[in-house]
Amino acid sequence: MTEPLGRGELRALAIQRHASAVLAPLWVTLCLIWMRSRGWKLEGADETRELFRRLRRESSQPIMVCANHLTLVDSFLIAWALGDLGSFLRRPSSIPWNTPETRNFAHGFWQRALAWMARCLPVTRGGDRSDVAKTLARVGYVLERGDPVLMFPEGGRSRSGRVDPKSGAWGVGRLVRAVPDCRVLCLYLRGHSQQSWSSLPKRGERFHVSAVTLEPKSDRRGLRASVEVARQITRRLSEMEEQVLGAPEPGS
Amino acid sequence: MESAQIGERVAKILEPYVKDTDAFAKRSDTTKILDDLKVNSARLVDVILAFEDEFDIEIADEDVDDVETLGDCVRLIAARLS
Repeated sequence: MTEPLGRGELRALAIQRHASAVLAPLWVTLCLIWMRSRGWKLEGADETRELFRRLRRESSQPIMVCANHLTLVDSFLIAWALGDLGSFLRRPSSIPWNTPETRNFAHGFWQRALAWMARCLPVTRGGDRSDVAKTLARVGYVLERGDPVLMFPEGGRSRSGRVDPKSGAWGVGRLVRAVPDCRVLCLYLRGHSQQSWSSLPKRGERFHVSAVTLEPKSDRRGLRASVEVARQITRRLSEMEEQVLGAPEPGS
Repeated sequence: MESAQIGERVAKILEPYVKDTDAFAKRSDTTKILDDLKVNSARLVDVILAFEDEFDIEIADEDVDDVETLGDCVRLIAARLS
């Protein structure tokens, strides 16, 4: 798929995976307390969690959760939408890995430590191509092990506040094609008062959350196929958004 | 096709995506597409898809990992053409 990981990198991933599971009662609980302390509430989480549980029960095939992206804490909110405290403590392996932008999350010691514990594989957008390829290889590895992974196929927080159906980070399509039997769960999450992109949702925010499965396919080959798969995913997210917000205004 | 010819066509494709026009004017084989020319990383794939159309070649996912400089683009295209 991508360049193979060395033994040291595989060992580092195994240690991160194990430590994250052992420390889950601490960091998952703290994250949930923090989100609740901000008064955030999810609407539609029961159906989303049931779908996620069903997918995991049905088979051990990899699951890539592909979501829209508006705030810096989306990965926490999305994990919360996929499971409650009890389910994550019983099965820490069901907590999705994610790939935050290095510049947002991994520049200070404590942030790096939290990101490491919370199953993050930081990536620098626009960074050295070999580093990006290495992160994709790590994501592919954890997917193949059966752990879910959260990706943002728009490649960053939407500057327009809406999903751009023509966007699509090619790396997402590349992973979906490269990891055998990878299933895609499209997840749409948005605060009712969220107008555009931001760092944090406002206090007391209520979030709409919904999820559907998708089987993206392409008859093309190589890079073009990966781009097409990524754009099928963003198109689906855009359709989910239209169900919540209505169609975007022409020219917007 | 000569490397110089490929280089010219590569530059023509890249030009609309370049943000640092001074660096583009002084370009060489070692000019970095993202760091020096300030091409948006999200657009790099569009550039490479344009190479596919222009030269009627097929580029694999893995090939993109090796594309950092203008020289890398020329070498990749030359390898596919041969």
